[in-house]
Amino acid sequence: MVAWRFNAIGVPWSIDSEEAIPDSLRELVLSRVEEFDRAYSRFRSDSLVTAMARTPGDYDFPPDLPALLSLYEDLWSASRGAINPLVGQAMDHWGYDANYRLEPLPGEPPIIPSLRETISVTGSSLHALRPISLDIGAAGKGFLVDTVWALLRDQGVTELVVDGSGDIRHSGGSTERVGLEHPVQTDRVVGVVELDNASLAASATTRRSWPGAHHILNALTGMPTKTIQASWVVAEDCAVADGLATALFTTTPDELARFFGFEWVILDQDNRIYASENFPGEVFA
Amino acid sequence: MFSPAVARSVVALSSLAALAGCQAGEVAVDQPRMSEDEPREEKVDRDQDRDRDRDRDPDERDERRGDDDAPRMDQPGAGLADGTYQAGGGYQSPNGPETIEVSLTITNGVIEEVSVTPGATSSTSKRYQGDFAGGIAAEVVGKSLDEVDVTRVAGSSLTSGGFQEALATIRQDATVG
Repeated sequence: MVAWRFNAIGVPWSIDSEEAIPDSLRELVLSRVEEFDRAYSRFRSDSLVTAMARTPGDYDFPPDLPALLSLYEDLWSASRGAINPLVGQAMDHWGYDANYRLEPLPGEPPIIPSLRETISVTGSSLHALRPISLDIGAAGKGFLVDTVWALLRDQGVTELVVDGSGDIRHSGGSTERVGLEHPVQTDRVVGVVELDNASLAASATTRRSWPGAHHILNALTGMPTKTIQASWVVAEDCAVADGLATALFTTTPDELARFFGFEWVILDQDNRIYASENFPGEVFA
Repeated sequence: MFSPAVARSVVALSSLAALAGCQAGEVAVDQPRMSEDEPREEKVDRDQDRDRDRDRDPDERDERRGDDDAPRMDQPGAGLADGTYQAGGGYQSPNGPETIEVSLTITNGVIEEVSVTPGATSSTSKRYQGDFAGGIAAEVVGKSLDEVDVTRVAGSSLTSGGFQEALATIRQDATVG
């Protein structure tokens, strides 16, 4: 049993596996994570997306860019535009910027453009027609969990849990019991999921929250969402689970189910808890 | 009130309307089956229904058609006794199995009114109505971590040191200012 802990993209990660993970493989994982962060972090001055927010033009992203953007296109369609990776500028407006200003600017948030009118993609090369602020906060961490999980699995690590601070992908013979953390009382759980060769992602507005705003915006209005407190999604891919956990703040499960297969739990603002019929676990109500 | 999506769904359900008529005709030769009769499970064209479901606004699924708007489906209703008929159907949506109930009112041998009611078998239609209509969900209780056997928890991601420092500064400013 291997328990590997490290910090990446600003959060603690934990990887547990039955098989050993050799140092060379660990280095490979960490370098992929670093590559991802250097490309997509809005909070790094040396990242591609930071450069792209200032200067239009051509940018060479890692080879996984098309897969990531493809997921965002699906999320955009399923949410009818409420989930959009170009919310970066609006995030800046609300104070969630690289300096953690955490103070909303006066006035209205900027209009959030669509991907199609602002970029063109050839392979993993992205051409920005004007300065755009790409923010992959909705699905990016889950996407990175998938990336790490696949790297390890491809090297024979099959009894495996990759936990990127709450975005979790499991594979192997025995299921993993994961508690659904209460968004406010973090020593309590509101339910339990039995993760069996699947992924779990969670989202809540409580931690990344400051006076006047929080970090989940409806891209159609540019405003912070007000519908629910927390969501959990189980899906095969962690990127999908992550993106849908965010999308549940703007869009009903019914709507999202037109495009994705998933199970879910929602905690609304009145502390009522909802679960999908076939949610693989239980909620405490 | 009747958007194109609704009109499409009702017209497309003419096959089910025919189904309803046939069932009633078989079971109750002279007497119409009344609406309290138990609905039956019937298979309908799955692919078509999946496409239709995707196009339909969930809020508009449960619609009654008024007299003037109702399609005049003379063929399916022809020869049936006047009354209200009811039948159920099932189909596979992207969200799992769904059921619907179709109710027909026949006057002078012609279908006068059709109403379609979605069933409550799917996870989402049963437990989540978008606006969190009252009485559907339960108050969360929660359990202490000591009480449950879990290996890890999932909530919102922990925040970075930079975020926490910034938030602490803001709070301090708010207190001082």
